[in-house]
Amino acid sequence: MENEISNSIPNSLSSDRVKLNVGGKLFETTISTLQSGGPDSLLSTLSTLPSHDPIFVDRDPEIFSVLLFLLRSNHLPSTARRFSKQELDDEALYYGIDSRLRLAIAPPPLSGIDASFVSTIFPASDGVVSSFNAAADDGSVCVAHGGQISFYDHNLTHVSTVRTHLEEITSIRHVCPDLAAIGSDSTAGLHFYDFSSARYLGSTHWTDSSDPRIYKARVSSIADSPSQIFATFDCPHRENCILLIDKSTLQISSEIGRQSGSSSKNTAPGKLTWLPETGAIIGSAVTSGAFGYSGYIRMWDPRSGEVIWETNEPGSGRSSRFGDSFADADVDVGGFTLFKVCSKSGDLAVADLRNLVDDPWVYIKDKNPSMSFIGGASSSVLHCYKSQVFVGRDGSLEVWSKENNGADEGLYRRNFVDKVEDSTRGVIRKIEGGGDRLFVSREDAEGIEVWESSYSSGAILV
Amino acid sequence: MPTFTTTTIMSSQNNNLNLHQFKINPTTQSNIVTINVGGQIFQTTEETLTLAGPKSLFSQLSELSQLGPHFIDRDPELFSILLSLLRTGSLPSKAKSFDLQDLIEESKFYKIESLLVNSLSNPSQFDSFNLEKTLILPLNSRDTASAVATTPFGILHVSHGSKITSFDWSLQNKSTTLTQFTAIDSMLAISPNLVAVGATDFSGLQILDLQKKGFVLETLNWENVTKSGSTVQAIGSSNDLLFTSFESNFFPVTEIGHYEIFGADLDSAIPATKLKWVESYNVVMASGSHSGPSGVLGNVKFWDVRSGNVVWEFKEKVDCFSDITVSDNLSSIFKVGVNSGEVFYADLRKLGSEGNDSWVCLGDKRKVGNVKKEGVGCKIEAHGNQVFCSKGGNIELWSEVVMDSSRKREEGLPERVFRKNWMGRVKDMEGSRVTNLAFGGNKMFVTRKDRQSVEVWQSSGRGF
Repeated sequence: MENEISNSIPNSLSSDRVKLNVGGKLFETTISTLQSGGPDSLLSTLSTLPSHDPIFVDRDPEIFSVLLFLLRSNHLPSTARRFSKQELDDEALYYGIDSRLRLAIAPPPLSGIDASFVSTIFPASDGVVSSFNAAADDGSVCVAHGGQISFYDHNLTHVSTVRTHLEEITSIRHVCPDLAAIGSDSTAGLHFYDFSSARYLGSTHWTDSSDPRIYKARVSSIADSPSQIFATFDCPHRENCILLIDKSTLQISSEIGRQSGSSSKNTAPGKLTWLPETGAIIGSAVTSGAFGYSGYIRMWDPRSGEVIWETNEPGSGRSSRFGDSFADADVDVGGFTLFKVCSKSGDLAVADLRNLVDDPWVYIKDKNPSMSFIGGASSSVLHCYKSQVFVGRDGSLEVWSKENNGADEGLYRRNFVDKVEDSTRGVIRKIEGGGDRLFVSREDAEGIEVWESSYSSGAILV
Repeated sequence: MPTFTTTTIMSSQNNNLNLHQFKINPTTQSNIVTINVGGQIFQTTEETLTLAGPKSLFSQLSELSQLGPHFIDRDPELFSILLSLLRTGSLPSKAKSFDLQDLIEESKFYKIESLLVNSLSNPSQFDSFNLEKTLILPLNSRDTASAVATTPFGILHVSHGSKITSFDWSLQNKSTTLTQFTAIDSMLAISPNLVAVGATDFSGLQILDLQKKGFVLETLNWENVTKSGSTVQAIGSSNDLLFTSFESNFFPVTEIGHYEIFGADLDSAIPATKLKWVESYNVVMASGSHSGPSGVLGNVKFWDVRSGNVVWEFKEKVDCFSDITVSDNLSSIFKVGVNSGEVFYADLRKLGSEGNDSWVCLGDKRKVGNVKKEGVGCKIEAHGNQVFCSKGGNIELWSEVVMDSSRKREEGLPERVFRKNWMGRVKDMEGSRVTNLAFGGNKMFVTRKDRQSVEVWQSSGRGF
């Protein structure tokens, strides 16, 4: 604030001032305001023109006044409501200040304890979403529904839909700006589609010249790092591995974690996460058998292909929670911790990735007696995002967030994100954060839900 | 554009003339300040600009006025509204074409937000007889509102579950903070960002800074003999003291770290569940009740803060209060009887004098011996010259009708007449039970059982 004031008062110097005639309406502003949109923008180019007469710009003055307001005060005026997000976006792109606009209309930081259901994105056809991915981190989302991929941009405006050759896409990852990697549990191979041009770019299959049984392997999960794509391939005879694929060439660079698939401890991982700090890959698999759930979490070094650490569940007698295998696990990449939700008790447990031992789990309970009884749900899903842990149990959505006690280590507290009536919309199948949004898909429900935090009180007039 | 500019100057000058037409000296030329805001020319006087206060950008403009017209790179239309606010003290009707949020942001830039608060959320605009349910503020998550705290100019803090959601004075913006509590039972706003928070299942009183994501500034504990944790039953405050009732006793915190304990030698172990400061008598009212085999028993004590002594004491044996409040303006304490569900008052001016029947029933006296416990869950709060009492989902408004003082009772003080009316329209009646009543700015806030929201009652004529 202090800077703004010291800026605005000396700006009375006429040399700093710029007059613009936009579509017949006169505006007067300063060079620094126009340049605040970025050095390469059209507006900052205009501001350097040596002219004393108003510079004429043949655009709509109304939208310009909204954008000028944005440059001056860093937020949008209420008059911006007269224009659609698309109109504003297009006009901001024309003036070269789209990044400023994007910042101004992005939702505030996602806080699970104060998030509300904003909207549902409904794909036009085959609305039941089989998988989705929000990896671009700007709040955009790639949705797989049936054999189609739909892409929704940072405004959640529909950009494009591509019909792929797959009948049903079960895993999708937005790996490059316009590139989606998709896999299916009914069709072999990992396939690449460019969704801006709706083009098929190619496929990758797992083959082994020395072993003819490696054939028709299907992709069960996909992850990526800035340079590589990691995909788990699972043969019909259950032998599986993780293939590392180079992003620039889309060719296989190496194969790690090959295992027979003969027991639950070596089935293909259903979830893969790449850890940016160490470069390790964490994979987890859950299978349900006659004796309940079982599974493993394993960490590989992709360079050597070696297993760095693993834990199997249900563990041996040493495990403190014998028989209570996890239903889902996820990595909090920023906090360097691993979370799991138990299938029987429903409890949440955390493990420090820096200190992995045989039984690294610390079980966390909420202090509130009414929130500490959970009860198990084997369909639970867990997703770590922005230092918060989101858990879906049947239809209800909860968040575990750290309380602020001034010290570094706060306790995790459990709160519901949703209302009781929200939980009746169906069993939650997948939760994923992207940008400052949380996306939720439900069993057999059309579309994906968007949850956001807001500074606005949302007061309802009565 | 030239014609447009001229009209702006004309209208500004007209306004100036209106404002200063009764002055003997016409506004001299040197007093006029010319400002160019985003390409539009405005003229005003140094006097008008200095009204904005020394910290504002406006007063800086008036200081620099000798250097010729200033250019401010802001939106001219919003500036013209804020300039009108400065000239007249109220917003022009054309402000309605903008969102209040725009005006708040713009006034923050010019550092005159306090003027906007004064014109839109001033406690002097509170009009008990003209309150209507105007807004519902939804709370996220599944917890219902447990405690409400307000500041005089209408900032609202609502606790729900382990969280506190704060609404700004305009009720346009909110933020939510996670606390260490499982549920908050008492909360008091000390300043716009600071709240004192306590719970009956949490040891100690916490002072939280809500701007710093609930950073715990201080945890205050009652250092009792057993060293066991003591839980907070009630919080109250005067202008410079904070009172907290810990289990059965309460102490005021004069400054953080310095405290005195009152009531440690109480024979009855009833903790005070409500603390109210009575400014004009310099006493704090502490009341508590508990139900036993012989019905609900309670006591009301008035403590002199300076001496630490009990000044007056009520023992409640028959039709004990369900809730109690004190009104400094009406010099009375008001209660709802737990059995009768009727409102009673006791005149503070008569408390010193002997007389075992201080309570005057304002309703049906026969219901005192009621066994139905009609008053359970009723809330009573005094604000301004009125007393608000909730009965189930409805709210009664009690006000004093000032009558001819010739009708006197034996004690010498005139008999006082209080009358009630139900608040709200028929459609507002019979909602869920009211759990909290709070007042701030020109508004009343109501929370109800099992509702994840706060109702805002406001005068219909006012507001944006």
